[in-house]
Amino acid sequence: MKKIGVVRFLGTNCDRDIWQAVEAKGYEPQWLWYENEFESSDYDAVIIPGGFSYGDYLRCGAMASKTPVMKSVVEFANSGKPVLGICNGFQVLCEVGLLPGALVRNHSGQFIDKWVVLKVENSCSHWGENVETCRLPIAHGEGCYHISEHDYKNIKDAGQVWLTYEDNPNGSVADVAGVMNAGKNVAGLMPHPERALFEWMGGQDGFNFF
Amino acid sequence: MSLNEKLKKYRLSESEYQLICDQLGREPQGVEWALYSALWSEHCSYKSSKVHLKKLFNKSEKVLQSFGENAGVIDLGQGERVAFKMESHNHPSFIEPYQGAATGVGGILRDIFTMGARPVALANYLCFGESKADRMETLVKGVVSGISGYGNCVGVPNITGQTEFHSSYNNNILVNAFALGLYRPGEKVFTAKASGPGNLVVYVGAKTGRDGVHGASMASESFDDNNDAKKPNVQIGDPFFEKLLIESCIEVMRDDLVVAIQDMGAAGLTSSSFEMASSGGVGFNIALDKVPLRDGQMMPEEILLSESQERMLLICEPKNLAKIEAVFAKWNLDATAIGEVTENKMIKLTWHNEVLCEIDPDHLVENAPLYNRPYNEWTSPNKVDALQMNECNDLQDSLLKQLSSEQGCARNWIYDQYDQRVGAQTISDCSGSVGMVRLPDSERALGVVLGCRPHVMRIDSQVGGYDSIAYPSLELAAKGFETIAVTDCLNFGNPEKPELMSEFVASVQAMSEQCEKLNAPIISGNVSLYNETNDNNITSTPATGLVGVRDTLTGPANAFQGEGDVVLLAQLKQASLSGMHSELNGGKEQFCGAVDAGEVAQFNQFIRELVTSNNVTSSRVVGKFGLAYALAKMTSVGVGCEVTTEKATGSNLTEKYFAEHLYQVVLTLPEKDWESLQSNSFPFELNAIGKTTAGQFKVDDQINLTAEQVSNAYSSWTTHFEKLS
Repeated sequence: MKKIGVVRFLGTNCDRDIWQAVEAKGYEPQWLWYENEFESSDYDAVIIPGGFSYGDYLRCGAMASKTPVMKSVVEFANSGKPVLGICNGFQVLCEVGLLPGALVRNHSGQFIDKWVVLKVENSCSHWGENVETCRLPIAHGEGCYHISEHDYKNIKDAGQVWLTYEDNPNGSVADVAGVMNAGKNVAGLMPHPERALFEWMGGQDGFNFF
Repeated sequence: MSLNEKLKKYRLSESEYQLICDQLGREPQGVEWALYSALWSEHCSYKSSKVHLKKLFNKSEKVLQSFGENAGVIDLGQGERVAFKMESHNHPSFIEPYQGAATGVGGILRDIFTMGARPVALANYLCFGESKADRMETLVKGVVSGISGYGNCVGVPNITGQTEFHSSYNNNILVNAFALGLYRPGEKVFTAKASGPGNLVVYVGAKTGRDGVHGASMASESFDDNNDAKKPNVQIGDPFFEKLLIESCIEVMRDDLVVAIQDMGAAGLTSSSFEMASSGGVGFNIALDKVPLRDGQMMPEEILLSESQERMLLICEPKNLAKIEAVFAKWNLDATAIGEVTENKMIKLTWHNEVLCEIDPDHLVENAPLYNRPYNEWTSPNKVDALQMNECNDLQDSLLKQLSSEQGCARNWIYDQYDQRVGAQTISDCSGSVGMVRLPDSERALGVVLGCRPHVMRIDSQVGGYDSIAYPSLELAAKGFETIAVTDCLNFGNPEKPELMSEFVASVQAMSEQCEKLNAPIISGNVSLYNETNDNNITSTPATGLVGVRDTLTGPANAFQGEGDVVLLAQLKQASLSGMHSELNGGKEQFCGAVDAGEVAQFNQFIRELVTSNNVTSSRVVGKFGLAYALAKMTSVGVGCEVTTEKATGSNLTEKYFAEHLYQVVLTLPEKDWESLQSNSFPFELNAIGKTTAGQFKVDDQINLTAEQVSNAYSSWTTHFEKLS
């Protein structure tokens, strides 16, 4: 059975949601506590859940990116193994430099919770390989994807743009909702696939992301 | 300081002063003044309302914990239990909207997890003034972002709410927060009953600062023109700290390291320590100099009354202290032993070994004064034999006006700022009439609805009291839920005015009677009086939170689902109200008929059985603005309907469309299901009134709109909200 490490920082709040999603897929979840480093060989994949790590103080994801567990996550990613960051997890992956760009305050200045339609620009072989267009909920105050024009051209040409919004909710550059690293083993997205696993949640398009 | 000055400072009356002297056999001294001021405040003691609250229907075979604890607890069967409660934060939110609303959310969450339940749902009941009123835009924006900023960060989904706008709240808004926590099978219920002489009193969470000193007594006073001076009384919250506190407290409770636990809410350390000792029948020795302080210059009185947020008091056996400290350290929090439990029922407070006071906690808690304030038997001033509503010339135009009004427009500008899905158990979010989360062990749905329609209260307090239970309970039934239990948050004006006390008594009695008929006990709640500014009182607003259970995860939708379904109208036919339509158009506010709570309960059961035993595709209880508005709201996502109102209650079209008849429910069924069902005899009126169609909304030959026109009108006022951002 695939073993999935689920990272927990102080203030992470989608941790048990990810646990539920990983179990629903028939994989084995294990907690990775922020103070501890881990052995890359012990896990098949790592997920960084959403939430408000360290209360979003200083800058979203900034404090989390300096924790011992992230040192191991970087090693894990550099060994080519799959890492997924959702919402605050995406912000952490940008802060630690595993993903390009940054996430800033939504254009409206407000937190937004709603369902959005996404287009898969380039598929990610580790996460949601067979997904094309899908409908997922977002819930963030700082989900506006920011990247310089030059860098955007690079990631676009390299096929690193993973997901885009059909109707941009937050002012993201080029409607970007999710990106991958150059090796395409590290991916991050603002929407929450773990909140769209089953029909009773209002949609099940998130199931195939895990 | 003269006696009169002291009484004024500590907000105590002369008769209360006499009572204190009788209790102590002498005059109060030193910090005793502050203790009495806080614990005998209206906010902590419920002195004006308790004689009536004691009569509330509060028992059923499912009640595990009722009043007297931080929250009520209900057994849902199959090993699952829930704790829930609703609480006001009106006064602080008017003074400082962001922090007032945020700490309202924080406070109600602590009431839940202090019982050992993990919070899984939040809801908010908000009453604002007219948007043009002074400061109102700032207040709306501040309150909504305060709730959003706090609730989203702690990671508890906001699944439902109600928002009202009316001039009676122009100078005193209402911010009521509801929270619900879940015990999964095998998890233990904790209480605030201290026990075990020699056990330790442990302070956990944030350090104590000067914020919120005298908050409880401030919240027990009417407003005047000098509200800015009260700003230092408002607490400041930190949701990140609260999140850590939730996790650490639940962890020490799951590890069974705790004897009793209580949050430090209103009147902070004073109320938590005195209430824990009083309810456990024990005493405490507390060294106030051991309380962790944010400001080392603080004096004992300030330490006792500080309402700094994110703090808890717990009792543990001495052998467990080290384990407790380790859990809190893991979550980056401190746990500090500040005292111990003693056999004799006295609270001894010391400051660097000097005894500040030694006092029986029952004096301040159990034996606080109770007032049976004067009130009159209820006579309904607005009751008429038959409604006399002004007939509308253009019914379609009137409907569009309702949909685009402040009172009738979409509220998604508010709800979209709340995280409605964190926890990944949300079945139905704030866009529906019932907020729903999944019960993960039994695979059932838990439903939450908030109630109290202030416009009904303005017409009649007794009818409004029944309605505060009957209407939300019917909303649950229309989605297939059985109502299990109720919490309330009774927001009223000055109880020393007999006409307002009469409204309090009439509505609370009606609520209790309706709860009894539904076998849905009131298990927790809060009273907020003195919602008064310069002699102007708010609409009496007994807000409620109802919790229900449904055996299936999915049920009827909120909007029409596809064309060709039969549109049904179920009617109870008791009372009819001129309602919000008249209020909006300056007509007379009146009602005719009477509410029979027993029959309301039978109608509720009829609707629930109809929904659970048939393939009902969508459902909606007809509410404010009447039938046409309800049908329009079911239309607003694209599928329309074509109906006639021959069978609807009302002596003319205006009454059929816009009067509010208690009660009506609109349901849709596939045609073949209705064909086999319609030959049955029903205990209440159930008639087919039309069909769902592809996008057109037609009522008789009076209203003919596209679904898009309906939805544009409904969302048009949103642009007004957006200006606030």
